[in-house]
Amino acid sequence: MRRLLPLLLSTAFRLALWCLLTSDLSRLNLLIGLVVALLLPRARSRPLPVRVLLKATVRGLLAIPQAFAEALRLVMAPAMVEREDSEPATDRALPLLVFLDVFRITLTPFTIVLGLEDGGRRYRIHTLTPASKEDSEP
Amino acid sequence: MAHSLVDHASAVLLGAGLVLWFWGTWPLLGTHSYLRKLHALSVADTLGSLLMLLGLLLRIPGQWPLLTLALLGLVVWNTIFGYVLAACSLPPPPQPATEQDSAP
Amino acid sequence: MTVLLWGMVLALLIPIAVACRPSDVWDRLAAFSSVSSKVALIILVVSVMRDDRMLGLVGAIALSAGNAGMLLLANLLRGVER
Repeated sequence: MRRLLPLLLSTAFRLALWCLLTSDLSRLNLLIGLVVALLLPRARSRPLPVRVLLKATVRGLLAIPQAFAEALRLVMAPAMVEREDSEPATDRALPLLVFLDVFRITLTPFTIVLGLEDGGRRYRIHTLTPASKEDSEP
Repeated sequence: MAHSLVDHASAVLLGAGLVLWFWGTWPLLGTHSYLRKLHALSVADTLGSLLMLLGLLLRIPGQWPLLTLALLGLVVWNTIFGYVLAACSLPPPPQPATEQDSAP
Repeated sequence: MTVLLWGMVLALLIPIAVACRPSDVWDRLAAFSSVSSKVALIILVVSVMRDDRMLGLVGAIALSAGNAGMLLLANLLRGVER
């Protein structure tokens, strides 16, 4: 079951994309989509912990409203400060998780991931934040 | 009544998206640092376009599969592209910098 | 709607101007990516104005597949610069 789960998930994802693209739910079209989804090559990885994956996805979705809030603050800001920062990475062994993390961090306008540092344990992050009073004084 | 309300909401969303487009694309002309331009571009191209797509979605709800696909593709690709541009434009950290590297 | 379209085309002119003038390669690449997503959005808006589903399909595909080439180009450029 655990080995089958990634296969099921990726196939379902591809089938959903196919249905969105064709916007047609007839039986023949579903069959074609299923065949395409199964025939496309898939990446080999160790079994995904579904709970972690779900958590990362939800965090990525939550980043969207947060991104709008930050964009509004940036538009209002008279001046901005640039800095380099870093954040601990969750798990490097799963490319999908790294992808979701990079997506979540880069989506918000304050931060962009520049890459991995420290042997892949931390993300290098460039931040651009509205200047506070103390920052703009000197 | 409800119809005109939806129309107004979609117009507001489209207008807000256009404002974000202009705000975020304008710094490209200036002489700021490269990464700062990328931050602004992520505001314009991802978030502004997202607002515009939502406005279009309100206008033609019948075509939601297509617009949802566009929404998904836009957000994922633009975000990852911003990351790739930022990561690729940096000089490689372990090697000493050469004249070829475009240091800011 | 027409005003919106004019505004979008005006916004599209900014990255085109940046891409045309002599500047850093990375600046140009960022400008090109901006052009690609803006053009796709304009296609979608036009498809809504004309109520044309096929045009909308083109816009959606351009949005979801168009940036892949840019990703490859960025990676290639990094390889060339090193």
